[in-house]
This record gives sequence, structure tokens and C-alpha cells, in this order.
Amino acid sequence: MKFLLSFFTFLFFILSENSFCSPLISGISSNEIKVNTEFAGAQILLFGAKSDAGNVVITIRGPRKDFIVNKKENILGVWYNGERVKFKQALGFYSLFSTFNHGQLIEDSLSEYELGKNNIKFNVSSKLSPTKINEFRLKMVELMEEKKYYESQPKNINFLDETLFKIMIDFPANILLGTYIVEIYLVNNGTILSYQSIPIFVEQVGINSKITNFSRDHSFIYGLIAVVLAILVALITNYFFVKFVKK
Amino acid sequence: MQIYLPIAEIPVNIFLILFLGLVTGFLAGMFGIGGGFLATPFLIFIGVPSAVSVATSTNQIISASFSGLLAHFKKGNVDIKMGIFLAIGGIIGSSFGVTIFRVLQNAGQIDLVIAITYVIFLGAISLTMLSDSFRNFIDKKFGMDWHHHYDNKLKFEWLIRRIEKLPAKTYFTKSEIYISILVPIAISFGIGILVSLMGIGGGFLMIPAMIYILQMPSHLVVGTSLFQIVFIASNATFLQAVAGNNVDIVLAVLMIISSAIGAQIGSRIAYRVDAQATRTFLALLLVAICIKMMIQLFTTPENIYSLDILK
Repeated sequence: MKFLLSFFTFLFFILSENSFCSPLISGISSNEIKVNTEFAGAQILLFGAKSDAGNVVITIRGPRKDFIVNKKENILGVWYNGERVKFKQALGFYSLFSTFNHGQLIEDSLSEYELGKNNIKFNVSSKLSPTKINEFRLKMVELMEEKKYYESQPKNINFLDETLFKIMIDFPANILLGTYIVEIYLVNNGTILSYQSIPIFVEQVGINSKITNFSRDHSFIYGLIAVVLAILVALITNYFFVKFVKK
Repeated sequence: MQIYLPIAEIPVNIFLILFLGLVTGFLAGMFGIGGGFLATPFLIFIGVPSAVSVATSTNQIISASFSGLLAHFKKGNVDIKMGIFLAIGGIIGSSFGVTIFRVLQNAGQIDLVIAITYVIFLGAISLTMLSDSFRNFIDKKFGMDWHHHYDNKLKFEWLIRRIEKLPAKTYFTKSEIYISILVPIAISFGIGILVSLMGIGGGFLMIPAMIYILQMPSHLVVGTSLFQIVFIASNATFLQAVAGNNVDIVLAVLMIISSAIGAQIGSRIAYRVDAQATRTFLALLLVAICIKMMIQLFTTPENIYSLDILK
């Protein structure tokens, strides 16, 4: 309902303008995702309009974190983590929407914009050979897809008419916290005609954020509380059982 | 019903966690053990990061052990002097264990070490318990006396003779034993390391050590073990919270409450059922977890690549 309302407000806004100042204009249903105790994933609606010929490409990039990919090896029948590659400050989320036809490659000239999961750049720290590192790179993308952090296939953009489009962005329940950037490109013949970027803030809120902050800022007291709480609960339960439940 | 955990940063099923706490508490009340050997692998299995699983389990163990301790205090079954020496060794050991845990975590080998220690210690203890149960069963059925031939105390005779030569001897009035204070400190130092590594209370290792090495009277063993576990688990929880920010208090509260209730139920049922049967059941449970860990170590993993996200 909230989605629809903001969508119509947006429609009204662009229709009341006689001409576009930009060939591409878009908005999202919310700038923030609140991770509270009931959080089980989220969806954000993005809608927009284009007034020029060309393809629309939308990327959603998540917060940068350090990742390690481990490869299990076998010694005397026991599996253990052998070779490992660290991916420094890699994207914690990647999703791509485009109007390019299925199978049609996004122009190579756009690879510097990291459009398409094969163009994602990784900062690798490892002494392994380049072929090995490439193997780990592919596995990194695969594992991120498994965890629903990376979208395996570029998704299509729904057009409502010639100019209006909308997409629904899915965020998984195991979402990484931080700032996400939605980027909307209008591409024609390998050049970018128009570009817009919108941030989405994913943060813990309410009691969750209070607990997380407290555990970081006052870890000493947090540790004491954890211990005292355990002993108190044991005392209280014991009291009630002794009083109300006989042997 | 799902609940999002602030420190683990994943959602879990609230009823699953409450059930887990109830079961581990039940075992704690019934057998005088913390139940961590069940809770930690289970939490890891449902996707809680292993560091958070271990740290939060130790938090739950405090409450389960303290519940049990209250009952034993009332019966006067705690050797406080011995408990304090065990706690000293355990606190040093568990502090050391938290450091080892971090080193192994950084090297990417913590899961391997957790699995191997589980297999070795659960395997050894559960097989000993099973063979004991089997011998007892034979004794009862056929009136044979196998215990005469297989006295466990004899196995440790060489060790006990050596222990007798150690300095710093003192008399433990309650247990009526005269032994060097270095012995309980050394034992609980070793077990303390495992407490931090495995997210367990260590009762299933401490109890045999108290019987066979310290030669304590059996009625004091469970209470005294619980007494020192409360200290070791408190130290491990506190250090994990300060050093690694690994204690998830939301997860801990769910488990603490359900396990405290489970512990009360367990200790009441323990009076009504055959002790030998429950011991056999516990042994079988330990064997099952040991086998599960062995499978994890020896079978080809579904995906030989795995991903760690660094905070």
C-alpha cells in the first residue's frame, strides 16, 4: 500500500512536469531497511521513467567487507581448510537489472562500471598463481550467489508503457549491514547518456541496535550482564520450581 | 516464528532455540553435565557463526550448571575447597583457551579443531561409559563379576603413584583425601582450555578425572564439578564478550530460560528413572554426536569451497 501511494505520487510528479530536465528519472519506495528482531528480509520498489532511446541498466551494490574463500583439502582422510584467498573490501551485495535482451552482452566498454557479475573487480591478497586466484574468484561469486548476496542472472525490467518502468529489489534475511548504492544507467551505443545513484541504508534499529552498540562500547559491562543474567535466571527458576512444583 | 539475532546477524527460529535449551537443560539436570556438547554443534549446524555458538553456549552453561549446583548445595554434596582449586586452574585454562580460539579462527582451522577435539574426547568417554553399562548389564543378567577384573582405578595406578610424590600437599576435609594442590589445578587447566575451544562445560571430562585421578568420593563428584564449571563458564563467557564480542545476549536469554526450566524437569525425573538406563542413554547420545562429527571430518564435503565473512 505504501509502495503504491509513493508510486502514484511519483507518477503525478513526473506527469505534471512538461519536459524532463534529465532523460532518466527514478525513485525508490524507501531509503532505509530497518533490521529489527522481526527482520526476515526486505523488498524495495524502484520506479522510474526514461525520455530517450537506449537501454536501462540498474545495479545494486552492497557494503564492502573482507571475505575469505577456503578450499578444503584431504590429509589421511580428514578434510581441512587448505588454500585460502582473502578478498579485501569486496562487495557484500550485487544485483543487476537491465533491458538488454536475454543473452545479449552488456557492451564491453561498460565493464569499467562493473556491470555484470563477471566484471566485478576484486582486490585479492594471496601468493597463489593467477590461475588459482581466478578459480577462487569464480568460487567467491558462486558462494555469494548461494548466500543470496549476489544475483546469478541479470533480471529484466518491467515496463508499464514506453517510458515508465519498475523493479522490485529483494534483500535476503541474512543481509549484511551497511550502505547499499542503487545506480541507474541509461545506455545507448556503449555510452552512458544518464546516470543516477540512490543510497539505501541497512541498519539495526530498536532493541537490536541498542544491544549491538552496547556490546561494542561497553563490552566489560555487557560480559558481566551476560554472566549475572544466567545466574539470576537459574535462581528464579529454581525458586519457582521449589515453591510450586514438588519433587 | 523467526527472531533476528543482533550479534550473530542472522534470523533463527525461536521455538527451535527454546527446544534446544530445554533439551540441554534437561540433560544438565539429569546427568549433572552442562549440555554444551549438544548445544554448540547444533547452533553451528543451524548457521550461527562458530565463534558466537561457542561463546553463547558457555553463557547457557552457567545457568544450567548453577541450577544443578543449587540442588547439590542443599544436600551438602560440594567440596568447596577442592572446587576453588579446580576453579583456579580452570579460569587460567579457559583464558588461555580463548586466546587459542582466536589464533585458530584467524588461521581458518577452528572448525577442524572443534570437530577433532569432539571426536577424540566424546569418543573416549562415550565408549568407556558404554562398556561400563554393558558390563553392568552382564553382571545383573548372569551374576558375573566383571568389575573385579576390570577395575578402572588400577589403570591409573602408575599416575597416582607419581602424583603422590608431588609437593604442595594439602588435606581436603570434605573429600577426606590428601593430595597436592597442583593436581586439581593441572586437571582443570587442561579441561578449561577445552571449555573455551568447544563451548562445553567439561563435566563429562571432569567427573571421570575426579573419580579416577583425584579419587574423590562419588557423592561429591557431580556437585563439586558443577561448582567449578560455574566459575570456568563465567570466565569464558566474560572473556568472549570482551575480547571477541561473540556473546549474543538475545540467543543466550532464550537458551538460558529454557535450559533453566529443562534442568529443573531433568533433576526431578532423575529421581524416578533407573540410573543405569539413563547412563546408557547418555553414552549412546555422546556416541551419536561423536559419529556425526566424524562424518563431518571424513566425508567429502558437498562444496569443497567455503566462505568466511570477516566483521
